Formats: sequence, C-alpha cells, structure tokens
Amino acid sequence: MQSIINSIVKNRNLIIYLILSFITFSFLYNNSTLHFNELGKISTYLSATSSKFSSSIISYFNLRKENEKLISENLQLKKMESTYKYTQINEDTLNSINSAKVIVNSINKSKNIIIIDKGKLDSINLDTGVISSKGVVGIVKNVTNNYASIISLLNTDLRLNAILKNTSTIGSVTWDGLNTRILKLNDIPHSSTIKVGDTVVTGGMSFYFPKGIPIGKIINYDKSSLEGYYEIDVEIFNDFSSLSNLYILNRTDNNEIQSLLNE
Amino acid sequence: MNRELLKNISFYTIILALQLLIFNQFKLFGFITPFIYLIIFVHYKTTYDKTVLLILGFLIGLIIDLSMQTYGCHTFSTITICYLRGRIEKNSFGVNANLPSAMIKDTPLFSRISFFLSLITIHSIIYYSLIFFNINLLSTIFLYAFINSITTFIIIWIISRLISNN
Repeated sequence: MQSIINSIVKNRNLIIYLILSFITFSFLYNNSTLHFNELGKISTYLSATSSKFSSSIISYFNLRKENEKLISENLQLKKMESTYKYTQINEDTLNSINSAKVIVNSINKSKNIIIIDKGKLDSINLDTGVISSKGVVGIVKNVTNNYASIISLLNTDLRLNAILKNTSTIGSVTWDGLNTRILKLNDIPHSSTIKVGDTVVTGGMSFYFPKGIPIGKIINYDKSSLEGYYEIDVEIFNDFSSLSNLYILNRTDNNEIQSLLNE
Repeated sequence: MNRELLKNISFYTIILALQLLIFNQFKLFGFITPFIYLIIFVHYKTTYDKTVLLILGFLIGLIIDLSMQTYGCHTFSTITICYLRGRIEKNSFGVNANLPSAMIKDTPLFSRISFFLSLITIHSIIYYSLIFFNINLLSTIFLYAFINSITTFIIIWIISRLISNN
C-alpha cells in the first residue's frame, strides 16, 4: 500500500496532467462541433477495430462449435439431396444418414481401411455405403459399439458398381494398388463412346449406394486391349489423404434384398 | 501573503490582461495572434513547484479559451508545455537547469533561445493541430504554427528583455 502511495506521489504530475487533459478533451468534445464529429469518428474507428479483433479471437475459440453446426447443416442437405437427386431411392429406403469423423485412415497399403468414431450405438450397420461431400469413400465392413471400419475405395478387394454419367454404360471400379488418386474403370466395351473428363458415378446396382453418387472423372483411356474392353483411368474426386467428415448411408431394404438373393 | 507571490500574481494578471485586451485583437496576415501569455510559463522559476505550474497552466489556458471561444485548445496546449517544461529545461540548459538563477540571467544566449522557441513551438503545433483537427491539413498546421511561433517568440523576447532590464 505504501509503495502504491509512493508511486502515486512520485508520478503525481503525470496523473494530474492526464486528469486535466481528460477534462480539456471533455470540454472540447462537448462544445465544439468539429471536435465532436472528429472524435466521434475516431471513437467509432477504435471501437470497430477492437470489436473486430475481439470477435476474431472469440470466433477462433468457437470454430469447433461452428464446425459441428456446419456438419449438421450439411447432413440435412445431404438428406435432401438424397431424396430429390437419387430418384429411384425414396426417403423410406434411405432412411437416415449419419455423420462421423475419421479417426484412423490409411492410404499406403494395398488394403486400406478407415475407422470412424461411430458404431452400433449410433445406428451404423454393416454393408452400408460411406460418402464424403465429394463422393464415394467406401463400405462399412466391421462395426463395434462405438466404432466402425470402412473398406475404402483404395482397397484392392473392393469392386464397386459404376456407370458413366452421360451414357449410363455400366462398369465397375477397382483400385490396382498403385496410385492413390487413380482407380480403374472396367467392363466398358469398345462400343461405348467415352471421352476424357466424363464423370463416373455409382450405378445403383448394389446394396451400398444409390445411383448417381460421384466417384471420379476419366483422365485417360486405352482402346488397344484385344478383349474388347477399354482400360480406363479414373481420377477420384475425394482426396483420401485428407478425409475428415464422412456420411454413412443407411438403407432399410438391405436385408430384404439380401434375403431375396439368398433364396 | 509574501511579496514574491504578490509580485507574481500581479505579473500574471497584467500579462493576461494584455493578451485578452490587446493581443487577442491582433490579427497579423489575418490569422496570426501572438500568444504572449506564454511568457508566464517561460518565466516560471525552476525552483517553484511543477504541480502548481500544471494547475496554473490549466487555469490560464481555460481563461484564454473562454475569451477566444477555442473550447480547450489553449488549455490542452498549455498544460502539455507545463508538463514537458522540465524536460525542455534539461534539453536547453543541460546541467545548469536545476540552478535557481539559471533561467534568464547569466545563461548562454543559444540556450535561452532554444528554451523559448521549444516551449512556444510545441504550444503552437499542439494548438493548431487541435484547431484544424484534420490530418489532411498537416502542411497548413505547420505553416500556421511556424509563423505564429516566430511572431510570439519575437514579442516574448522583447518583453523579457524589458523585464530583465527593469
């Protein structure tokens, strides 16, 4: 306390100067229109700058919340998209879409898998399709109570039904285990007309995905094969090295279709 | 009330009266009004209390503002030079700054000119900055401050010589 008093006494001239300056500026502010306007502008500028600074800090700490909000909104949009875009699947068969975060993701093996933070308790079922905002990611192959593993498109065991978006020619995509950006589109006969840039989408002839979900685009094709089929390279829309939020498509009619196939 | 205080009060009153009644009406080139009241702060003895100087600066500035309708521009300029006076003394007079008789008499001419001009120029720059209060008029502010400082300096110098001769 004594040191505070000493400090005040020592700096009394500065304190008095600041008090008198404040009184003077109050006098200026209240009596002169010019100074009122100019000080008002300075005040507005300072308050706007400080508010912007503080709001940028606050918004940084709210990013996680904002991100969750955006994922939730995205989920709603995906549901709407499913209803209106993939016309052969009605809202009853594609009864729900769950979102999940990637917790493990490999791309450097021949049989890559992805593990997500949702499981049985979150209504994730086996053999359901998984997509991201850019397109197909893979298929759920194992489910525990809280986690699920997904066979990604970058897995040499996965063969997925696909079609060319423009011509509806049916084929299948596989991964040869070499380039993580390139898939092979098989079973497209020479009689089909294809060109570089054509989009490849899911064909709808599987349990996993409705028709029309983007997979990639043709970047190269070879017609020299003697078997009568093109050798087509498809660049994947998804970047598997940076997957974070995924959507799991739950279909109610999977069991029904499965039982028909088993008969 | 001692003799010195009475003498000082009389001096301040005369200077204020001169400023209010004569020099405030004086418009050199239509805009230059010499601020001869600054002589009070120039002649304020170094041995006197600096806090009293600040209060004195505030009161005199306020009186000038009220008479010239400048709403605090004089007050702020005056309290600022009163606050900075100690540093200006040290810059101008160096080691002699703390000697009681060092102010006007027996000090080098250059130190005295430097001291007078520093106080007057700082006051003028602050005053015209507040009067125009516009960054785009910076050249005008410095021009007015320069001409006003020179005029004020000449008049204060002459009055100081008259006082010291008497």
